[in-house]
Amino acid sequence: MAESSYGGDQLRAILAAAGASGTWDWDIEADRLAVDQHFAELYGLTEPLNLAALPTATFFKAIHPDDRARMRIAVAGMVAGAEQFSKEFRVVTANGVNLWVHGRGQTHFDESDKPVRFTGLLVDVTARKRTEERLRVAQSAGGIGTFEYSDGFATATVSHEFCRLLGLYPASILPVPTINSVLKMKDGPCLIPESHHGGPPESLDGTFCIVRSEDGAERWIARRGEIVHEGPDGGYRLIGVIYDVTESKAQESELRELNDTLEARVENAISERSQVEEALRQAQKMEAVGNLTGGIAHDFNNLLTIILGNVDTAIRRLDGDTDPRVKRALDNAQKGAERAASLTQRLLAFSRRQPLTPKSIDAGRLLAGMSDLLTRSITESIAIQVTASDDLWVVEADPHQLENVILNLAVNARDAMQDGGALTIDARNVTVGPTHEHEVPAGSYVAVTVRDTGIGMSATTVAQVFDPFFTTKEVGKGTGLGLSMVYGFVKQSGGYIYIDSAPGFGTIVTLYLPRQFVASDEDAEDIPAAERGKPTETILVVEDDEDVRAYTVGIVRELGYRVIEAHDGASALKLFNGDQAISLLLTDVVMPRMSGSELAEAARRRQPELRVLYTSGYTRDAIMRDGKLETGVDLLSKPFTYTTLANKLRDVLDRSESNIVA
Amino acid sequence: MTAPSISLDELERDALTEIVNIGVSRAASNLRKMIGGEVLLSVPSIDVVSQRRAARLISEREVSELIAVRQDFEGAFSGRALLIFPETNSLELVRAVTGGELSVQEVLEMEVEALAETGNVILNSCLATMANMLKRSLNMTVPEVLRGTGNSLFEVDETTSSEGLVLFLYIDFAVRKHDIRGYIAMIMDLPSLATLKDLLDEFIARVVGEDG
Repeated sequence: MAESSYGGDQLRAILAAAGASGTWDWDIEADRLAVDQHFAELYGLTEPLNLAALPTATFFKAIHPDDRARMRIAVAGMVAGAEQFSKEFRVVTANGVNLWVHGRGQTHFDESDKPVRFTGLLVDVTARKRTEERLRVAQSAGGIGTFEYSDGFATATVSHEFCRLLGLYPASILPVPTINSVLKMKDGPCLIPESHHGGPPESLDGTFCIVRSEDGAERWIARRGEIVHEGPDGGYRLIGVIYDVTESKAQESELRELNDTLEARVENAISERSQVEEALRQAQKMEAVGNLTGGIAHDFNNLLTIILGNVDTAIRRLDGDTDPRVKRALDNAQKGAERAASLTQRLLAFSRRQPLTPKSIDAGRLLAGMSDLLTRSITESIAIQVTASDDLWVVEADPHQLENVILNLAVNARDAMQDGGALTIDARNVTVGPTHEHEVPAGSYVAVTVRDTGIGMSATTVAQVFDPFFTTKEVGKGTGLGLSMVYGFVKQSGGYIYIDSAPGFGTIVTLYLPRQFVASDEDAEDIPAAERGKPTETILVVEDDEDVRAYTVGIVRELGYRVIEAHDGASALKLFNGDQAISLLLTDVVMPRMSGSELAEAARRRQPELRVLYTSGYTRDAIMRDGKLETGVDLLSKPFTYTTLANKLRDVLDRSESNIVA
Repeated sequence: MTAPSISLDELERDALTEIVNIGVSRAASNLRKMIGGEVLLSVPSIDVVSQRRAARLISEREVSELIAVRQDFEGAFSGRALLIFPETNSLELVRAVTGGELSVQEVLEMEVEALAETGNVILNSCLATMANMLKRSLNMTVPEVLRGTGNSLFEVDETTSSEGLVLFLYIDFAVRKHDIRGYIAMIMDLPSLATLKDLLDEFIARVVGEDG
């Protein structure tokens, strides 16, 4: 090389133009190294060294320590007879800068094939090396593999990342069929379209499903790139990249599925919404009907009070001489009025204007009393069994509401057994320890169980049954309030309710009512004889309805009390002037301008120990809290009879002082 | 596929590559004399892989049938050397070696003979150089020409249990300006490869010397 026909300067100019940084000539025989000026500058070799006769070890002097062993091995191969030398390594310049150089050389042999010289040139490839480094990082960090395919060739030039993405053994050149063999669709478009498929492709944009050669994993690969046309003969190159799009493909298909089902989901949401709206309309309707019936029942109760009261009075005035037909007619009138009264009671219960009046009750007796009602409500195809332990504990609850609850549950059970079955209702004592399957707190309870053999409910339905407005019945057939009222009642009574059910296995509803540790007062209720009053006891009767007031005043007077009356709150208050001691205020709850409870409050300010008894066709929040009567508040429901009023008056008047709420 | 239990580190691979380079250079020189034309041979890189992986690797790179020259060697380390060409390239090689003056029929007839001779020169040179550079002696059998797939050449089948390792060398081979792609593979068992590794380390120590 060095002894070519070019002169030294000329050669250097050519080499410099070619990017060469220096040349060397290693004399193997003489073990000497000759280098040119560029080589010397690169290696930091300065005068007075003789550049034409350096020790061969000089060759390794400027090579980066990390590359030196590798280069010693390579050169050892060359001086031992290898022909081709092509290595890249780092040179540390005199300034301490690391340069990447490509050393290209060859060995020269004598006639007997003995290697005699090793010559070559160094080219600074730092810029290219940096570019390669950036390209490599771009590929590995970005997960992007590159390829280049020239029209007419059977192979493509690929990057290691390209091979990794497809699960192929790393190579820089791969046959096109090998690359395309990873495609899942063997008849579909090719990852690298070969020229025999007819001219260059329109575009390199595409997505392919592949099966990785290494592990058989299915992946989605996107291909992008450019088609470079080479000259007029129609030759071209395909230069492009591939990258994994499995994840975004999965998201895309998920999104598409969401999109596809959007209509169905909107439809569902709308139908759900219209169901809720329908339920709300139904509830509003029931509320409106409730208000209406409540109002009517109130007025009816006033009328019934008058009718019943006057019939009652007439019957009591009858003597032995009267035509027995008169007595029978009055009895019939009384029965009719009583039935009307019980009808208004039911209307009030329906409109939830009925306050809870808890009493000490024996659930067994209550169930026994219901058997008629149950038999009438339940179809004949259902066998009913009602049982109760003999020694049931006493519980405190509103007996009428408890009846309603049991009836409600029995009707639900009936509806669950369209094809017949068995309904069992039983009551028993239960002592709950620290742990209980229904998570009932420790204590003594009377458990009332309503069990059917009907269709049962799914866990989802069970979780919803106590929700207001939830109903499995058709719109219009159920209010959706039944079980929520049951739940409200049980909670209000300090109890617990649990449902066990599974589709096809029937339903068991268990109410836990807390045991009351005082004797039942049921027996004390039915005192047949009316208890009489004394003239020293003054009763103030306040009632806005003239007829009801006249009837009430009549009874109270007849009972032996001293009676004064008023038609509203204001005139009643005037009577608290100190002239006379008033023993008891008997007042209607609902009156114009001043309500019964407002009157009672004002009266108690004048006379703190005053006893108060309310009468009402229905009660409003004025004297109720959470639907229960406030403690110490006494209420007599209209219509009332001579006996019930007599007993209630005595009850309130005779109660010990300590029970009076000031 | 289990990872090879013995691997060559970077320097050991470099050393073996250079030793084989010396061998193929000698082979090139011999071939030049044989055919009276330009022959360039070099080995740019080497892989150490299992037999199974070698079979997969070559079938990924070569879609055509393969043709190989096989020679067994025995000595300090023993094994089997294969010079492998894709079948399409072997006829190219024969045509190049014979100077392109033969008919297709003649080329086909000469193929096996020409390949066996070429393979012998190349493999002999490589193995002899290895023995020489590593200061050991090796005996070689006569060359044999085989055709087949990656699996059959590397004797990979369902029953292959204790896999040997393959030194897989890529050769750049140019004969009278014809570029011919080929591979040299040396199949060795673990003890032989362990010995080779030790010998390479000795070689490296000799060459790299004190300044590592």
